[in-house]
Order: sequence, then structure tokens, then C-alpha cells
Amino acid sequence: MKKILAVTACPTGIAHTYMAAEALLQAAKEKNVEIKVETRGAVGIENELTAADIAEAHAIIVAAATDVEESRFAGKPVVKVAIGQAIKDPRSIIEEALAVKPSAQEFIDQAAQNKAVKKAQITGPYKHLMTGVSYMLPVVVAGGLLIAISFIFGIEAFKQQGTLAAALMDIGGGTAFALMVPVLAGFIAFSIAEKPGLAPGLIGGMLASKVGAGFLGGIIAGFLAGYVTKWMKENIKLPKNFAGLVPILIIPFFGSAIVGLMMVYVIGGPMKAIMDALSGWLTNLGSGNAGMLGLLLGAMMAFDMGGPVNKAAYTFAVGLLGSGLYGPIAAVMAAGMTPPLGLWLATVLAPKKFSDEEREAGKAAGVLGISFITEGAIPFAAADPFRIIPSIMAGSAVAGALSMALGATLRAPHGGIFVLMIPNAVGNLVMYVLSIVAGTVVTALLVSLVKKNKTSA
Amino acid sequence: MEILNIINDEAVFLELNAASREECLQIMIDGMEKAGFVKDKAAYLAAVNEREQKGSTGIGFGVAIPHGKSGGVVSAGLAFARLANPVDWNSLDGKPVQLVFLIGVSDQDASNEHMKILIALSRKLIHEDFRKNLLAANSSAELFEVLQSI
Repeated sequence: MKKILAVTACPTGIAHTYMAAEALLQAAKEKNVEIKVETRGAVGIENELTAADIAEAHAIIVAAATDVEESRFAGKPVVKVAIGQAIKDPRSIIEEALAVKPSAQEFIDQAAQNKAVKKAQITGPYKHLMTGVSYMLPVVVAGGLLIAISFIFGIEAFKQQGTLAAALMDIGGGTAFALMVPVLAGFIAFSIAEKPGLAPGLIGGMLASKVGAGFLGGIIAGFLAGYVTKWMKENIKLPKNFAGLVPILIIPFFGSAIVGLMMVYVIGGPMKAIMDALSGWLTNLGSGNAGMLGLLLGAMMAFDMGGPVNKAAYTFAVGLLGSGLYGPIAAVMAAGMTPPLGLWLATVLAPKKFSDEEREAGKAAGVLGISFITEGAIPFAAADPFRIIPSIMAGSAVAGALSMALGATLRAPHGGIFVLMIPNAVGNLVMYVLSIVAGTVVTALLVSLVKKNKTSA
Repeated sequence: MEILNIINDEAVFLELNAASREECLQIMIDGMEKAGFVKDKAAYLAAVNEREQKGSTGIGFGVAIPHGKSGGVVSAGLAFARLANPVDWNSLDGKPVQLVFLIGVSDQDASNEHMKILIALSRKLIHEDFRKNLLAANSSAELFEVLQSI
């Protein structure tokens, strides 16, 4: 059943606020509609709408002459009326609220809102890792796309000294990708220890790159630098006259020395061995094993649509991209595109299984899908998780497995359908498109199959 | 909290003859003064009129709830009038008004118990059976009984 929310408020807040609230409650009761009304009157805010209320609401009625913090309602249809209107004719306002449909824009806002909420919730080491990844991503995206553009001139064109292709490769591959692991490590440390963590983190990350320990070494360097400097910050006490030296001299010097020496003598070697083994295994993967890896990465991408499991798969693939392995990132992007794309297709193939608003939302999900924004699937999954999540996981697993097994590669870490248009950015383009289409179709068919008909449709 | 703390016989008019909104308000405010809720009638009337100018308090269904918050009010109080001949109040539904609750709130009253009663009354007025009972009351005692149901 659709749930409606309302907020009522007026300047004096003695009478109209409450009459409007009562009128809406009464009209909703007559119509058997579930409603919750927040009042903002002379005695303050009562019956305040929670984030959970807003998330599950169909629409929100605002009957107010004063500020009611409307930004809370981003992504939901809002019906605005004069407060007198709510007293005089609450029935047609309830009807209007029942009839509104979220616009595509509101749907996209909602996906963004989901993303923001999730960001606010994460804590601890996972948060530090995600901070590092989020600072690293622009570097990788810039580098990856510049490299991809150099391939327009031919896959080997950059080897010709002095050409534009060589310059682009130098910017993207020689510089941006070289910064990738240091930025990752630096901002993991920054997230843990704030400013003092940055220098040791960057230096540790650079060393990880240099010794060949790759992104795994970088992650270790970042955490090491972060916790070492945090400990120093909290425990090194100098006489007042020298206290100023701690952040500018003591921590950077000793922090970098400790992290650097650890990387060179202790961590670097084993991490390099692990990275080499991983690269070797991935490079020589038979198509069967490649398919299995793609299957796993794909299912992970769809499991929580932008949550920790999804980010683990994505981070893994981006890290390998930095080490010159282009298969996993292709699988991951394909698998991240199919959940919203497949749901869009399902709304087209089996309209009876979806409500009006879900069909409308399907169009927006399609747009989010081609842009590789997996979060576009969240509203569908939230409404019916036990049917939707297994279906989209299966579709994404198919997309990931096919992409890996058919040897598709991708040289940029993001971009959705738009990166497919850059010549040579995708290896095995036809097979890659086929993988995405296959995943989309599998998702759509499974969703259509397991979802029940909407009785109201 | 007792409803009788904010209304009494002096402020109840069961068959009021008033030709206009202004006259009606004038008589009711006099009643509020006698009842001991208002000490500065002019200041309170100004607050009520100011509120009325922002938008009519005629909420429809023949009911108006003029109100004002003013230093002229001693403590929160209520006056009730049932008009012998309904008067025009610029109501939301355009219909003349027969039931009037005049509400007075002092500057210190915000968020106290009195306010909660006024809020409950506002909510109750939306309900048709409550309005019917107000129209049927034959004495102030009966009216108070109706009001005690809120």
C-alpha cells in the first residue's frame, strides 16, 4: 500500500498547523490510506518524519507557509499546497499525492541519496580504504581515458617518439597511473591520521609501486603509515617550546623512515611476490578459470549495488588495471551495468509485474545503467529484495563470466557505454557488448519470471 | 490540565447577536476581560486583527478561530460564541460563520499546557460530530461538557 507523508506548519502555529494535520489524517482514514503527519507549530516539531519514513513514502504533502526543511525530501515527489487548502479540501490533496509519480530526476536523486546515506554509515578500516579509493579514482579515470585516447591513433602508435599518441601515453600511463598507488596509500593514511599521515602514506605508496608490490602493497603501506603516524601524534610529547616540531619535523621524518624501511626490507618483497603470482595467474588464466573469476566478480558487483562487496570487487579490478591487467575491470564494469539495464528491460518486457512508478523508474534505471551506476537498481531491490537481488546477481555473473571468458578488456576504469565509443579502449568490443547484452537479458528474464503480477496493474 | 482553566461563563455567548465580524470580536474580547484572561483589550485586539489580515481564520464549515498572541493577555484563555445570525468572515469556503472560538495566548504561554489544549481543540474542530455537539449545546454547562471531550 502506498504510504503518504505530510508536514504542516503556519507562522503562529496555534491553529492551522493542527487543523490541517487533522484534516489530512481524517481524509486519509476515510480513504484507507496510510499517512503520517509532522506538525511544526507553537509547541515545536511533533511526530517528526524519520529518514526511514521518507524512504518508504510514496509522496510527501507540504502544507506550510514556513520553512519545513524540504531538502530532506530530495528524490521524492512533493505536493505543495497552501495550508488553508489542506483544511478545506484534504481529500483531493490526498488523491493528488497518491497519483503523483516520481520523475526520472527524482529517481536519480534517490539513487544519489542512497549513496550518500551509505557513505555516512561506513566506519573503521573500510572507511579508510574507501577514502583512499575515492581519491585514487579520478587519477585512474583521467589516466585510463587519456591512454584510451592514445589508442585512437593505433594500438602501438604511442611507441613513436614525439607524436601526440606518445604524449597522451606519457600523461596517462607514465604519470597518472604512476600516481595511482601513491595517492591510494597517501589518502588511506590521511583518512586514519589526517594531515600528518599524508606524507608517509604517499612515500610508502610510491615505494610499493617502485618495488612492484602494486596496489596490494599500496594498501598495506597506507594502513601502516596511517596507524604509525596516528600513534606518534597521540604519544609523542615534547616540551612546549619544541611541540611545534612534532607535526612538521618529527612525524614526517620518523613516520616516512619507518614506513619506507618497512616497505623496502619487510613488506615489499612478499607483496611483490603475491602481486607477481596474481598477475601471472591472471595473465595465463584459461578461459574456464577466467570465466569463474568473472562470475565471482560479477555476482559481487550486483550483490549490494554499490555497497562494500561491490566496492571490494571494483577496487580489486581497478588495482589490477594499474598493473596492466585489463580483463577484470572489463568484467566488473559489464556486471555493474547489467542490474539497472536488466531491470529497465524487465519493465519493458513484463510491464504487468511493476507498478506505474516502477515502470517510470525503469527508464531512469536504463540511463543509470548505461552510465555504469549500479545504484540505479537499488529502489527495485529495496522494494522486493529476495526476488530482485538473486536475479540481478545471476545476470551480472553471466556478464562478468562472458566478458572474462571471451577475453574482453577495458583500459579505463569507468565510463559505461561512453567509453565503448573510444576506438581501441575496449579489446574484443563485439564480444564485450555481447556480454553486457547477455547479462541484461538474463537479468530481465529472471526478474520477469520470479516477480509476481501487480494486482493493482 | 482542565479545559475550565481557560474558559468560563463570562466568555461564553450562546445566542450572540452581532452584525459583523468586528462587532462579534468586540463583544467576545469584552467577555475575555470579564473572565480575567485579558487586561489590555486594545493590544490584544490589534494582535487578533493583525493575524486576521495575514489570512482569514474562518476555516470553513461555519467555524472561525480568531487568535492572537499578545502582552495584553494575562494567561491563555478562550471565548466561545454561537451567532444567532451567521456573519461573513472571509472564510476559506466562502460561507458565513456561526461558531467562533476566540483564542488568547500571552507571550509566556508558548509551549505550555494551555497551548496543548488549544491545539487539541483545533484538531477537534475538523471533526463534524464535534461541531454538531457545539451547535446543540443549550447552556454553558453543556458546552463545557462538549469541550471536555477533547
